[in-house]
Parts: sequence; structure tokens; C-alpha cells
Amino acid sequence: MKKLLSLILAATMLLGLVACGSTETPSDGINYDIDLSNKPQLEILMPNSGKSIEEVNSNSNAQLIETLTGYKTNYTQLPADAANTLSTIFMDKKPYHAMKLTKDQFSDLVNDDLLVDITDALSVFAPDILANISDESWDVVTVDGRIYGIPERASSDNIENPIILNYDLMLKLKLDIPETLDEFTAVLRAMTKELGRPALTFDKFTPLVYSISAAFGIYSTWQEYTVDGKTQVLFYMNAPGYKDYVEYMNMLYTEGLIDKEVSTNDAASANNRFVNGFKADSQGAKAGAYAASLWSVPAIVTALEANGIVNATEAKGELGDYLAYVRSLKKNASDDEHVYRSSGYTYITAIPFYMAENAGYALDWMNAKIKDTETEDNFRQMVLGTEGVHWTYKAGEGYFPIDANFAEKDDASYYMTGSNENKYTQYWLARVRKQPELFRAWSILMEDADTVGVHNVVDFTPPIEDYNLNRASVEEFAQNSFYQLMKDGTGNLSSLINDLNNLKGGQKATDAINNWYNSAK
Amino acid sequence: MSSNINKLTLAQKVRKHKQLIPFVIPAILFALIFCYLPMTGIVIAFKDNPNFLRYDVFEALAKSDWTLAHFEMIFNDPEISRVVGNTLIISIMKIVILFPLPVVLAVMITELRSRKFSKLVQGLVFLPHFFSWVVIVGIFNSLFGLYGPVNNIIEMLGGDPTHFMGEPAWFRWLVVILSGWKEIGYSSIVYIAAIMSINPALYEATRLDGASKLRQVWSITIPSIMPTIIVMLIIRIGYLMDAGFEQVYAMLNANTMETGDIIGTFVYRKAMGAESNYGLSTAVGLLNGLISMGLILGANYFSKKKTGSGVW
Repeated sequence: MKKLLSLILAATMLLGLVACGSTETPSDGINYDIDLSNKPQLEILMPNSGKSIEEVNSNSNAQLIETLTGYKTNYTQLPADAANTLSTIFMDKKPYHAMKLTKDQFSDLVNDDLLVDITDALSVFAPDILANISDESWDVVTVDGRIYGIPERASSDNIENPIILNYDLMLKLKLDIPETLDEFTAVLRAMTKELGRPALTFDKFTPLVYSISAAFGIYSTWQEYTVDGKTQVLFYMNAPGYKDYVEYMNMLYTEGLIDKEVSTNDAASANNRFVNGFKADSQGAKAGAYAASLWSVPAIVTALEANGIVNATEAKGELGDYLAYVRSLKKNASDDEHVYRSSGYTYITAIPFYMAENAGYALDWMNAKIKDTETEDNFRQMVLGTEGVHWTYKAGEGYFPIDANFAEKDDASYYMTGSNENKYTQYWLARVRKQPELFRAWSILMEDADTVGVHNVVDFTPPIEDYNLNRASVEEFAQNSFYQLMKDGTGNLSSLINDLNNLKGGQKATDAINNWYNSAK
Repeated sequence: MSSNINKLTLAQKVRKHKQLIPFVIPAILFALIFCYLPMTGIVIAFKDNPNFLRYDVFEALAKSDWTLAHFEMIFNDPEISRVVGNTLIISIMKIVILFPLPVVLAVMITELRSRKFSKLVQGLVFLPHFFSWVVIVGIFNSLFGLYGPVNNIIEMLGGDPTHFMGEPAWFRWLVVILSGWKEIGYSSIVYIAAIMSINPALYEATRLDGASKLRQVWSITIPSIMPTIIVMLIIRIGYLMDAGFEQVYAMLNANTMETGDIIGTFVYRKAMGAESNYGLSTAVGLLNGLISMGLILGANYFSKKKTGSGVW
């Protein structure tokens, strides 16, 4: 057996040597000698849009980008469950000029040495990208001093994980919006009694209800804690407050205040339950409080309208009598308020290694998209459209959407490849303003965001190999553990934490992140 | 097989039946290309994270180191022993509870007097086999949901509603119930066919001797289809380590991991999930395959010794 194995090994090594012997070159493989006026059609791999690929390609935003950049583009999108497809694409070496990737996908690909080093090419082909993206952002895509992608800074650092409350029901029961855990528990009890169903719902992917965990000092998945005089970055399951958090959730669960089906709920069914809570006569599952994302507000408003709870005119305005938002709870009323503030990089656009030859065209295309000057406002046109058609500008207040036409720009951010950080936040506000209730919710959550918001450490990391390798198993394990702990109590919490750290890679990930964190400080 | 053939040497056998060889070639090719060739992939189980995406297969394998880490992981991680345990428990439950049922159903269907009614029943019990697991699990999710009919009845009888799909103690039973509901009808086809081929003269003879229906079933039908039952059982035991991946994958959730996570779902999560740990997956699959092979060989040996019939 051993002999056979070594034979195979020898044979494969030989093959390997023959295959790579002469082609390996020290440079980045990019052809700098290309004629940019002779523009080829670009093949671009996009994240899943939830729409058909024909719609993606014929979308008015896609057309606009072709006009602005002069490049014909053909978009392909990943399926919703992308992990496997991305591997196949690299095995088949599908000729994509650029790929718009999530931060996790990007990190995995960089670790496997699959992306083109564009450090030198940026200054040649993409001066506007260099000028409009901050150093902090470049750090996220830099490994050993080399740049591997174009970061797309999140539109705005949002506080976006509220508990949404059925305020209609609260008015009826004369309940105030809760600030502390005790008040919140009381609200849930009253709602549960009235609804005849557990009042709090969420979906099966919510192991950290940020607004609740905030009361226990856990604001995000990875943050700095001081335990026994030692300060380090820890995963939330290792956080000092985790046990108390789970005990509180377990208390709510055993008392029948949390939806018994959360471990099988998808977002749509959680949404449904919350909306059903507005219907006095509904017999099925319903809830009065929903730990959700801010971005589910439009869907909730649509569903309220579809169920006849609000009429069409009301749905176009603010719904202060129907919905209330709690961004975070506190243990004691006198405690300081803190809560997770999302941030970082929604997407990173990169070039696969086997397309290095053509990298210049892709960079030139992305450079044209980010350009935003007095004379060439490409980026503004992409995000907002045309003045007087899609938007108006009010001095001192900013950009406002023109309702009749702004729907055309709904998908604009999907087509971005890197954002113009000097301009994006002010443009983006016009997009939130589009739906008054969403804007109201956003404004409530964002009050004093700079003092209240806490960032997640990993939102800013460059690819870190040991973290990336263990990320998925750590997150999956913690998620499954949470739903068990919430149901059964914290009896075997310490053995679960032990498994997390020693078997699922928790310790390796923690060490890797702290190494980076200490060196970056 | 006559004993006469068994005495011939291989070369003699080949010469004697040479006109059959062309018919076997496609089957051999199929097995070589789709069963044996992919087995070389087992090498991944002994490799340290080869980079298949950057390099072609051979180069990637050559560049990565040999390791036994995946096997160490298998024997150290309590999750894996839990997964193996769950697989065996669910599989054995399925065999003990579900294996005899298609035989019973086949007897019942063949004993029906009205041919039309018999065809109708057959059609109805076959039908669930053609639904995908996702659909069936969806249906049962609503049926067994907290506010579904099953719980409504429980409440009416004064019991407490249970979230069956999220209850570890219920999970394996639900797996067996759903699997039975879906597959019993289809599995009975083989037995129906076997019963149909029993010589009717046997039944006539017993009838003349005054045997009751039950007696006929017990003394003629069952013994006549026993070889079929045994072959089916051996085949079934070969799948002991496969507790029904698709079904369990569709039913599993965070709360039922403990009693429901099986080898199939574990391997899938590791290899196809965000982790892409092909090495560990392959190692688990390899051990799984070896154990299954041992089981089949054992079952066949045992059956040949006890009853004189086996798959080979």
C-alpha cells in the first residue's frame, strides 16, 4: 500500500512539475499594454439578486452603466447558496473579468491564492478608485501589503437590528415602549396574554438578538472584553455576559413568551407571525414583537397593507400608531445604552487569477463607474439618477427622491463595484427617504448613533487565514447551541463552550483575530 | 446456478459463455467510470487541504502534504460519534419497524378480491414515493406544527401542544413515520411481483386440505417469497450506514441536531457548506463505505449459511 501511494505521489509530482515549470512568472500577470479604446464585452459575476438573469441584464441601471462606461457588459449571478458554485467556477476557469463577492467569499478566495494582485495596476488603470476609497477600506483587501480587490464600503453605518413592536396592540393594552429587560418582559407577558400566543418571534438564523444581548454587554459577534484583567477580542459565545443572556432567553422561552417554533422559522414565516398579530381573529401562529432587521420594515408595511390593516394612503406615510422600534434594552434604566452598529464592507470586487491578462479592462470599467466630478457625475447618476427626473437637492438637507421615478433606482446599489466613499452616504439617504416608515424607523434607531453604536471587530479585518478556515464551523456551532440552550437551559453551557474552542476552531479563530487586532492597534 | 458451472475454471467459463460478453461490457464500463475511477478521490482523505481551485487536480494533490489529521479528528470529535450513533439508531429503527411492513402490505394487496380496487390501492400507496422529500417535510411541518391539526386534536383531548419538529425526543420517530408513509407502498412492488409468481396449484391443494386464508399466507406465501425477502434485507443492511440523507436534511434544525444529525448530513455540511472541508468529508465517507462493505459481506455470509440463499 505504502509503495503504491508513494508511486502515485511521485507520478503526480512529476506531472505537477511539467505543468507549472515554465509558465510561473513573478509579476502580477497583468497586461499593461492594452488599448483601452478598443473595449471588449465584459463578463461580470454578480451576487444573487433574487431576480432572473434576464432582468438583471436588461435593468435600466445596467443599461445606464453601459452608456456611462462605454463597456458592453454581460452579468451572470451566483445562486443564493453560492459556496459550491464559486468553487466550480474556479475549477472550470469560467472567464469572468470581475467578480462581486461578499467579504467572506473574498477572504476564502484570497487565502487560496485565487485573486489577482492589483496593487500596481490600480495607479495605472484606476486613479479615481484610488482617490475615492479611504486607506481604512484598502486595509480590508490588503494581504502582506498587496491589494486583491476593490472594497465597497457599506452605504452608512446603521444600527439596524431592532425589536419591532406591534404598537397598535401596545396602545390597546396601555403599554409603554420598554427600555429595560424587566419592562420588556412585562410587555411580552401582557402581549402573550392578549394574543394567546408567545409574543416574541424571530427566525432560525438569529442566535444573537442584538437588542437583548446588548443588556448583557454583548453588542456584536466579535468584540473586545476585559476578563480577569486581560483584554482581548472574543467571540460572543465566550463573552462574559453570554451565560446571563442565554439564561434570560431561556426564562422567556420556558415562560412561554418566545415562539416555540423559532428554531424552524424562516424570515418569511417570522414576518407572517408578526403581521398576523395585528389581526384579532387570526387562529394560527402570531406574535407581537419581532427581532428583525430594519430592512424588513418595507415587507412588513406591504403585508399590513395587503391584509387590510392599514390602507394604501397610510402605507405611504409614517405608521407611528402601528409600529414601534426598540434598538436596545438595558439591565437598569440608569445604564449607558450601547448596541451593535453594522459597518464594514458589503461587497468586494476582485479579478480571478486566470483573467489577470485582461485585468486592465475590468479596472478601467470600475474606475469609470466611481468617477464623480462636476463634469462627470457617473457615480451620482448610477446611484441617484438624473436631477429633476429622479431627485432634487434641498440646500442644507440633502438629496430627496422624486417618487414617480425613483423606483428605477431601487436596484442601483446592486450594480456598484466599489463605492465613492466621499459621496455615497449623502446619496444613500435619498434611498432611505423613499419609504417614510423606513426612514422614521432608521431615524429612531440612528439617534446618537456615534455614542451608542459599537462596531464588530471582524467588520474591518483583512483576510485572516485561521479565522477564515474556522469561521463557518464556529458560527454554525454557536447558532445551533443557542437554540438548544434557549430551550434546555444553560446546564451544559461550559461543555459546549469547550467544544466550540477546542473542536470547532474557536480558539484558533480567537488567536488569529487577536494577533491581527494587536498588530493593527 | 448449476453446480456443474462452478467446477469450470474462469477461462473455461468465459469460453463457454463468450456470446454473453458483449452484453456485460457496458455494465463493466459503467462501474469502472462511475464507481471505481472516482474512488481514486479517496486520496483526498489523506491530504492536507489541497488547493483544487488554483491548480489542476494532480498538481493540487502533489503540492499538499500527506496527513492523518482527518482521521484523528474523526476519532476525537464527540460530534462524529454522536453522528454515527444517530445514523445507526435511525437506520435500525427503520429496518425493525419498516422492513416487514411492505411484505404485509403486499400480502394484503394481493389478497384483495376486486382487481379494480387492488389497482386503486396500489396506485394510492405508490404515489407518495414520487414526491420529493422537501414537499413531504413541508406537508408534515404544517400537520405537526404547533397550530396544525395534530396539535389541535391533542389540545381537544386536553393535552399540551408539542412542537414535534423541534423536539429531539420525537425526531427519530418522525423520521420513521415519514419514511414509512412515503416508501412502504413502493417497496411492496417487489413482494407483489414475487407473490404473483407463486404457483396457484399450491393454494388449490391447501384449500382442498381445508387450510384457512391465514394458514395459506403463513405456509405458502411467506415461505415462497422468503428468498426475495432475504435478498431485500441484505441489500437493506448494506445501506445501514445511510439513514436517509435527503429526508433528514430536509427535517433537521438546531434543536434536533442532537438526535437527528446523521453521517450524510454531517458530511454534506462539512464538504458543501461554507467550510469546504473535503478532506474530513472524504475521510468520514471512506470509513462509512468500509463499514457498509463489511456489513454487506457479513449479512450475505450469514444468510448463505443459514438459508442457503444470498446475493452472490
